[in-house]
Amino acid sequence: MDSINSNGPAFDSSELKELKQKLVDGCHILDREGITDGFGHVSVRIPGAEALLTLAGVSPGCATVDRLVMLDFDGNYLGGVESPPYEWPIHTCIMRVRPDVMSVCHTHSKWSALFSVLRGGLRPVHMYAKFLPAAGPPIYPGSGLIGTVERGEALVGALKDSAAILMRAHGDTVVGASLEQAILRTIQLAFLGELAHMAVAHGEPLYLTADELATFSADQAFPARPWKYYLSRLRERHSP
Amino acid sequence: MTANRKDLPKIDSSELKELTEKLITACHILDHEGVTDGYGHISARVPGAEAFITIANVSPGCVTPDRLIMQDFDGNYLGGAKTPPNEWPIHACILKARPDVESVAHTHSKWSTIFSVLPIKLKPMHHYGKFLSAEGPPVYQGIGLVRTVERGNELAAALGDGPAVLMRAHGDAVVGASIEQVIERTTRLAMLGEWNHLALLHGEPKYLTAEELEVYNADQRFPMRGWEYFVSRLQDQR
Repeated sequence: MDSINSNGPAFDSSELKELKQKLVDGCHILDREGITDGFGHVSVRIPGAEALLTLAGVSPGCATVDRLVMLDFDGNYLGGVESPPYEWPIHTCIMRVRPDVMSVCHTHSKWSALFSVLRGGLRPVHMYAKFLPAAGPPIYPGSGLIGTVERGEALVGALKDSAAILMRAHGDTVVGASLEQAILRTIQLAFLGELAHMAVAHGEPLYLTADELATFSADQAFPARPWKYYLSRLRERHSP
Repeated sequence: MTANRKDLPKIDSSELKELTEKLITACHILDHEGVTDGYGHISARVPGAEAFITIANVSPGCVTPDRLIMQDFDGNYLGGAKTPPNEWPIHACILKARPDVESVAHTHSKWSTIFSVLPIKLKPMHHYGKFLSAEGPPVYQGIGLVRTVERGNELAAALGDGPAVLMRAHGDAVVGASIEQVIERTTRLAMLGEWNHLALLHGEPKYLTAEELEVYNADQRFPMRGWEYFVSRLQDQR
């Protein structure tokens, strides 16, 4: 496939200024909420191009608009800092086959890591799981960092059309139709993991069924309220 | 039916200033204490009226005076910001059914959620639970957001004349005779949930019996000290 990145905006164009800031905000939110540690990355698709922006080998909590990189879906460098994250194929391989995905988050969330090595699956005990199947997210069984396109494609093969996947002994990858949605889902997946962990300590919880999840999904979608809420927590942290 | 007070005060009137300021402080407290996240809401009855004030589709931690809304018990708009929370029937249906209730809080508390999906109940094992029955709060089993009066009435029926109800796979609703009491109860319900969880990991706790709860209830209260404390924590942060 011919790349259409030549049709996309340049890394330094003013058109991308807002998107870059949103990407950095999203990274800081995942750090503030305790989901990422020194590792993890978030990407966002460049509208109309086969290209994405992600972190240039920097911890999410330390990201700035000057520490981003633009890549095409083959991993070719298109601008920014020349140090893409080691696991860039997570982002490129998903975006190539999932045109519905505008943003991808990869974290080492302890709750995802925990359920990635257990046999029961991370099954929904709260309505926040309405973006997940009743059996919980699929689990990518592969070992090793996703440092090659081959492994990236294996991850995509396990993700299929889901919103999230756990990665065995590693963490998770969560996708969304917007950066805000990917960040919110990542936070909610961690919340669901914590709740399921606590609940199963006491016995078999009453999990939500597929029909019940559909009832919650059918309700009016929540507005973009959480994004503003999590941004407000960033400001709170940095205010004097 | 609309408000039964002919001189219904406006949401920004001086009569309601203290109440609306308290409502905002209460929302900030639940956020600061980690009970609410991006969602949840608190309401306060307009004194003497079949109307209430709640937050206008904004996260409790982000609420400001211009993000409040007044509605009657049928959900009709009576002033303020024009975006009611999706689940306004939680407030309308409980306030209508319970004249003793002046304020209602709805949260997605993780502690209420886990006990909402377990066969074991969240029961008092500390005297902070003295506002609960020895059996702990009931669980509303309904699925779906409480966006209709029908679901609101089901929730109110599950609450009965109690102080709190857990909502399966969702969170809780807590009521009180004042905003301060609702905040005290909501924060304590979360503490009790956490302590129940911790205690149960070690075996069957020795819960407080109904008689023992009565002993605590008969003791002198410490009026409003908890509210002052929570407000001071907000001020530390600012």
